[in-house]
Amino acid sequence: MSLVTDSPVHSSSSDDFAALLDAELEVGSSGSSPDEEDVEADGDNNNDNNDDHDDDDDLDSQRNKRCKTEKLEDLEESRGSTSQGLIEDKIVIHAELSLKKDICTHPGSFGQMCILCGQRLDDESGVTFGYIHKGLRLGNDEIVRLRSTDMKNLLRHKKLYLVLDLDHTLLNSTQLMHLTPDEEYLKGQSDSLQDVSRGSLFMLDFMHMMTKLRPFVRTFLKEASEMFEMYIYTMGDRPYALEMAKLLDPRREYFSDRVISRDDGTQKHQKGLDVVLGQESAVVILDDTENAWMKHKDNLILMERYHYFASSCHQFGYKCKSLSQLKSDESEPDGALASVLKALRQIHHMFFDELDCNLASRDVRQVLKTVQEEVLKGCKIVFSHVFPTNFPAESHPLWKMAEQLGATCSTETDLSVTHVVSTDAGTEKSRWAVKEKKFLVHPRWIEATNYLWQKQPEENFPVSQGKNQ
Amino acid sequence: MFFHIVLERNMQLHPRHFGRNLRENLVSKLMKDVEGTCSGRHGFVVAITGIENVGKGLIRDGTGFVTFPVKYQCVVFRPFKGEVLEAVVTMVNKMGFFAEAGPVQIFVSNHLIPDDMEFQSGDMPNYTTSDGSVKIQKDSEVRLKIIGTRVDATEIFCIGTIKDDFLGVINDPTTA
Ligand SMILES: [Zn+2]
Repeated sequence: MSLVTDSPVHSSSSDDFAALLDAELEVGSSGSSPDEEDVEADGDNNNDNNDDHDDDDDLDSQRNKRCKTEKLEDLEESRGSTSQGLIEDKIVIHAELSLKKDICTHPGSFGQMCILCGQRLDDESGVTFGYIHKGLRLGNDEIVRLRSTDMKNLLRHKKLYLVLDLDHTLLNSTQLMHLTPDEEYLKGQSDSLQDVSRGSLFMLDFMHMMTKLRPFVRTFLKEASEMFEMYIYTMGDRPYALEMAKLLDPRREYFSDRVISRDDGTQKHQKGLDVVLGQESAVVILDDTENAWMKHKDNLILMERYHYFASSCHQFGYKCKSLSQLKSDESEPDGALASVLKALRQIHHMFFDELDCNLASRDVRQVLKTVQEEVLKGCKIVFSHVFPTNFPAESHPLWKMAEQLGATCSTETDLSVTHVVSTDAGTEKSRWAVKEKKFLVHPRWIEATNYLWQKQPEENFPVSQGKNQ
Repeated sequence: MFFHIVLERNMQLHPRHFGRNLRENLVSKLMKDVEGTCSGRHGFVVAITGIENVGKGLIRDGTGFVTFPVKYQCVVFRPFKGEVLEAVVTMVNKMGFFAEAGPVQIFVSNHLIPDDMEFQSGDMPNYTTSDGSVKIQKDSEVRLKIIGTRVDATEIFCIGTIKDDFLGVINDPTTA
């Protein structure tokens, strides 16, 4: 309505807005029947226009004004109706409105208003989805509803959900001031921020940071995006998360608004799938930190940490030289991301093409477990001097890891044993392994196999003589 | 809706601004303070269009600041419940879509999008009818009806619907 621009404003108080509305109402309502006002007076929605935050006036004038405002709104609503039947129309509208209001379950809110009926909501129930839009909050039932409709949609496109951690999983970042002298050369090698899709080492001066993308990450994202709807989920803050998303996904084809940072989580130091709008039975997580996902370990593929910068190594207590200091990098074709992509393909294939049960009842967590158990299937492993004396072998992490990978573990050697795992080639069992032509491998063989979801070549994990190898 | 109204504000001015340019200083400070802000009653102050009158200044003891009551004309924008607005879509996702009409941020939940429009994910998420004839995506212009409003200090939030006659896409960026 553009009828106001030249309206006469004579009176002097700042409250004249109400008077102004009044004046405009006169203009606007000149054609309508007088009965209309009666109907409106009986209307039911006199309570929901309470958005006057900065009111310093007495209640009376406020109420007054509110009434007038509502008249205006109702007029707006009824524009276009003919004056005949106007009254019935309005009654019906109002009846519908009140009905709607009574039965509305308030599935969620935006700016503290119900997303369905527009009513003001002050309780803070449900989960906030700040990463999607400021002020958006959804109730649990609505989340369930969205998840299930989305799930159908996704399965029809033969896709699952993939939640990706940033640091040490897809990339490695360091503060510029933490660069060591022998890393200074990196400053001269950083890639242009103009076209980030080609580069892998970026200097982000405005954030006082340098970021190195993990080798293979671009191929990984491209291929994974065909099988998964992808989320970023980082313990970094929101500006960092968005900046990294720009580097990884400059054309915004992979993540869209699905970038979750620690500012969006519902629990401190924990990542949760409650802010992910995907059903847990269809979510795969890639992260290097198992403890961040206490409630969702079955969805997790644990990643070997990518430490490119020296500061990152130090942070995790490694004394060795970093990849950057060695002017080296993880292998592109055989690195962690290439391996995990193979595993993801297998998982995706098994989920959609190999299971017999109906699509909706399938659970990717079960598939994850099955695929993992294939890795060392048929291996029988004996540990020699790996666990502390008197330690219950069955509860040692390595033992459990080997079992998760599908191997059987034993404390005694016999001819069915395939691998002896030891740090010392001089032990009785190690010598037995050599004599019986069994594989003798270092414990890291199991760890590497676990990270890469693939049995690693035994000859790459030799065991040396003596206590220290 | 836009309104052209007169508002009043007490402006505090530092003594260094006194002198020949007093009035100009007052006006520029007023613009800085007021334009772009929101109030629950008047909505978003789009622009100051004129000064009606500057009252007598009142000197504050101790600080030397002077308070002037200033009456000014301005254009305000305030959405109303039931109002039909045209807005530009800024984001589309599985929950619905967000749109902007100037400073007003509107959310249209997928409950309030016609049932025959279905969400399509991908690099350009959208809601599309089964025959593909109507599509809502980022930068589409839509006509929607406001069903709830809330005004903050700097922002106006609205809940909207396009599930009604004559509402929906009015301009599709892909065909424009
Ligand atoms: Zn509601």
